[in-house]
Amino acid sequence: MFIARIDGSITSTVKHKSLNGVSLLIGQRLDTDGSPVGEPQVIIDTMRAAWGSKVLVSTDGDLARHLLRDNTTPTRLVVVGLLD
Amino acid sequence: MRLGVVKGKVVLSVADPGLVGTRLLIVEPITADRLGGNDPGGGKQLVVADHLGPAEGEIIAFVEGREGANPYWPGRAPVDAYCSLIVDQVNYRPPNE
Repeated sequence: MFIARIDGSITSTVKHKSLNGVSLLIGQRLDTDGSPVGEPQVIIDTMRAAWGSKVLVSTDGDLARHLLRDNTTPTRLVVVGLLD
Repeated sequence: MRLGVVKGKVVLSVADPGLVGTRLLIVEPITADRLGGNDPGGGKQLVVADHLGPAEGEIIAFVEGREGANPYWPGRAPVDAYCSLIVDQVNYRPPNE
């Protein structure tokens, strides 16, 4: 799991079937001092995370499979919490 | 999933049976400083398995790790990077810009 800041979103028409109707945000992983780490990531969001807010992200593909009810989903990053 | 730009493709003369029917893209990941601009890219290029057929220059999102082989379930494939979607639009506005 890691902390990310929501920096945007994407839209997509041509995608794996498991992603139909799924909200996809762009998150930037952050260090403890708030500096960005690595490249922006596309993250599945079911918690309506706001632009600029900080979230907890799980990298567990098993959770993504469960959430999307699809064993074939090529995804693993999911928002699992909103930071206080 | 990271975002990347499709730069080309790979064609194999001999392939693992698990790769038959899979297109292999050469993808350049997009760094934060080049996501907002008109020249996206900047990361270390890699090969991404694909069933969606993006054109060269299009932006995709790709998953990395064993989840890249999920679409082949219950079969198996030697894939650790997979094109999950083709991006229509990027709405990107990081702070301090």
